[in-house]
Amino acid sequence: MRRAVRAVRVRRRAAPAALAFLGTACSGSFGMPRGATEQGADIFRLWQIFFVTAIPVAGVVYGLIFWSVFRYRRRRSEDPDALGSQFRGNHRLEVVYMGIPILIVIGLFAASAAVEVRVDRVSSDPAVVVNVEAYQWGWRFTYPGQGVTVVSPPSGEFVAGPQMVLPLGQTTRIVLTSNDVIHAFWVPDFLYKHDAIPGRTFAFDIAPTRTGTFYGECAEFCGLNHAYMTFSVRVVQPAEFAMWLEQLRAGQAAA
Amino acid sequence: MERPVAAQPEPPHRVGPVERLTSTDHKNVGILYCVTAFGFFLVGGALAGLMRVELTEPARQVVSTQAYNTLFTIHGTVMIFLFVAPFGIGLANYLIPLQIGAPDMAFPRLNLTSYWFFAGAGLLILLSGVASASGGAAMGWTAYTPLSELRYSPGVGLDLWILGIVLVAISNVMGGVNILTTVFLMRAPGMTMWRLPIFTWNMVVTAILGLVAFPPAVAAFALLFIDRRLGGHAFDPLGGGDPALYQHLFWFLGHPEVYILILPFFGIITEVIPVFSRKPLFGYLGIVLATIAIGALSMGVWAHHMFTTGVVNNPFFSAMSLLIAVPTGVKFFAWTGTMWRGKIHFTVPMLFALAFLLNFLIGGVTGVMLASAPIDFHMNDSYFVVAHFHYTIMGGSVFAIFAGIYFWFPKMTGVMLRERLGRVVAALLFVGFNLTFWPQFVLGLRGFPRRYVSYPADIGFDTPNLVSTIGYAVLFAGVVVFLADVAVSLWRRVPAGDDPWDANSLEWVTTSPPPEHNFDALPQIRSERPAFDLRHPELAP
Repeated sequence: MRRAVRAVRVRRRAAPAALAFLGTACSGSFGMPRGATEQGADIFRLWQIFFVTAIPVAGVVYGLIFWSVFRYRRRRSEDPDALGSQFRGNHRLEVVYMGIPILIVIGLFAASAAVEVRVDRVSSDPAVVVNVEAYQWGWRFTYPGQGVTVVSPPSGEFVAGPQMVLPLGQTTRIVLTSNDVIHAFWVPDFLYKHDAIPGRTFAFDIAPTRTGTFYGECAEFCGLNHAYMTFSVRVVQPAEFAMWLEQLRAGQAAA
Repeated sequence: MERPVAAQPEPPHRVGPVERLTSTDHKNVGILYCVTAFGFFLVGGALAGLMRVELTEPARQVVSTQAYNTLFTIHGTVMIFLFVAPFGIGLANYLIPLQIGAPDMAFPRLNLTSYWFFAGAGLLILLSGVASASGGAAMGWTAYTPLSELRYSPGVGLDLWILGIVLVAISNVMGGVNILTTVFLMRAPGMTMWRLPIFTWNMVVTAILGLVAFPPAVAAFALLFIDRRLGGHAFDPLGGGDPALYQHLFWFLGHPEVYILILPFFGIITEVIPVFSRKPLFGYLGIVLATIAIGALSMGVWAHHMFTTGVVNNPFFSAMSLLIAVPTGVKFFAWTGTMWRGKIHFTVPMLFALAFLLNFLIGGVTGVMLASAPIDFHMNDSYFVVAHFHYTIMGGSVFAIFAGIYFWFPKMTGVMLRERLGRVVAALLFVGFNLTFWPQFVLGLRGFPRRYVSYPADIGFDTPNLVSTIGYAVLFAGVVVFLADVAVSLWRRVPAGDDPWDANSLEWVTTSPPPEHNFDALPQIRSERPAFDLRHPELAP
């Protein structure tokens, strides 16, 4: 009786604690950058869903393991030859522990597939198109509508790579290809990368939601100076973007 | 109840080097495999050490960029193809005939041949990193085209590497045929398939995976060689070839290979936990079906390595990869259910098995995250992936290998390993492993890509890299203590007796080490625990 009372009390105290925990968990980033594009923010939310699902799953499995190890350890006082209970399974339990993971996996798949549809969607009318050409070991960013090109300086160490400038809040189409081996275009803060495969061209959209300068790098091993194939993306207000384009165009026309 | 006649200890027989290298006895071949594979573990570990030292600080300090690229190429190849997979085959060679009550493998000479293919392949692969003036193999263990085409990788090292991998593949196929034939045709009377020890069951599934996955890989490597040396264009876009085709063929090997690298070791854990919980396995049938399901599903997940290529159906491969979590979960619950209401003895093999459970769960959970294509858009080719697969292959398989070594060393040599030293090894490896690889999850989330010889300072990559290198030092210490344990134990011998653990399967009813023909007589086999039934006839089914 007393035990039941205590259990209720514990439960009463535990419920708000658990809720508070879930609340922080759902707003936590769990080490992941928050995604500085609309697409990245979608992926970030998916990551939160996966992580928050993982916490109770891991908690239950670890809890069961630690409980069994602690509770059923052989004590010094016991006969060293004593046997454990000799049962060989429990069909009902086996169905349960197969069924629950199947349900979890179906839920995770639905969330993941929905986000992928949104991330893969390409606009029919992007505000800016940037052709990205990867090569050993650098990048060429071309704005075909504006006749502007930015290219990597040749290097075998860390130097500031070429910078791609994008307008805030507008959809940019990246058209990606490679002219030698496979590379990958990765901006960690956008939570997105795509392979650049010679002989193929890929297009994807990004819509930056935060101004700033973001570090970018080649993610697919591409030979000797792979580690130095970096670049950056600077997201600015649309007016500033127009000015930047104008300056660059004037400079490239003069040269 | 008839008691089997224990095999008479034979007069001490010292195995000379010639006999050691040429005897086709399955126990000898098994030990050759395991010792050679462990040697490759030390080599691969040393290569990893050089990488960790290089990455301790941001800029490049210790090795050249070219050398670093060779280091991770050879490290990956050695650990996967020359250590973990062959160690499983070695244990299988040693244990399967003993566990099913057979005198030897079905094809003893094929067995020794497959060992020598493997050893020769190992030599070629090591040479491929160093012995070529025109540059060692430095294209990563995945050898993606077009980077591995002659135009971009002119060194002869890559050709040696291809030959080495093809020999490994042939060796695996020979081993697989041998294992399947042995298990299907040479089981003792009463040893039905549903009484097979789980280790043997898992090796059956592993062998089938190898038979299906290796031949397409050999085709891929042959085409790559033709591209490089005979003017082919299979994977060369400039000649109309397709680099994505190479990735399909490669990962059609590569992903089942991942399960070739884990199923044997699931098997070890499934043998160790019931013995030291003093209980039968919880849900034997479920665990066998889960193994078969994992094997079957593993054939349909290869393109989750290609989510960022834009050339595959991501949702299909996402779904298949997520599904694999279900049978793996079944195993976790079966292992926990086996400990439930047991009498758990914390011997060294059991400690390693528990460490396996703790590590592998993290590998599994992060694997579920990576199975989601959009999340993988961020994680692919980052250190998050590196951390994930080290949690499965190292935190999982390698810890299981140590559990297996401490468990079967007495059977193989007739002497015990030191319990106290073993506990030190387990503690050092567990702490060192987690210290090395946990920070790599953080690195990956922050955007550190794989295969970078250096990184810019002050963007969050410094501290995790430093901690990771410190973790490596602890791991290194653990391996040194382990080698000392083996040396001490072989020097000052503590006899093991037939069955030091009160174990379950048939290998424990014969002497340690077993005589050449394995058994003088076999007990009646009524369950998957013939040795247990013999000790407890009152409980036998």
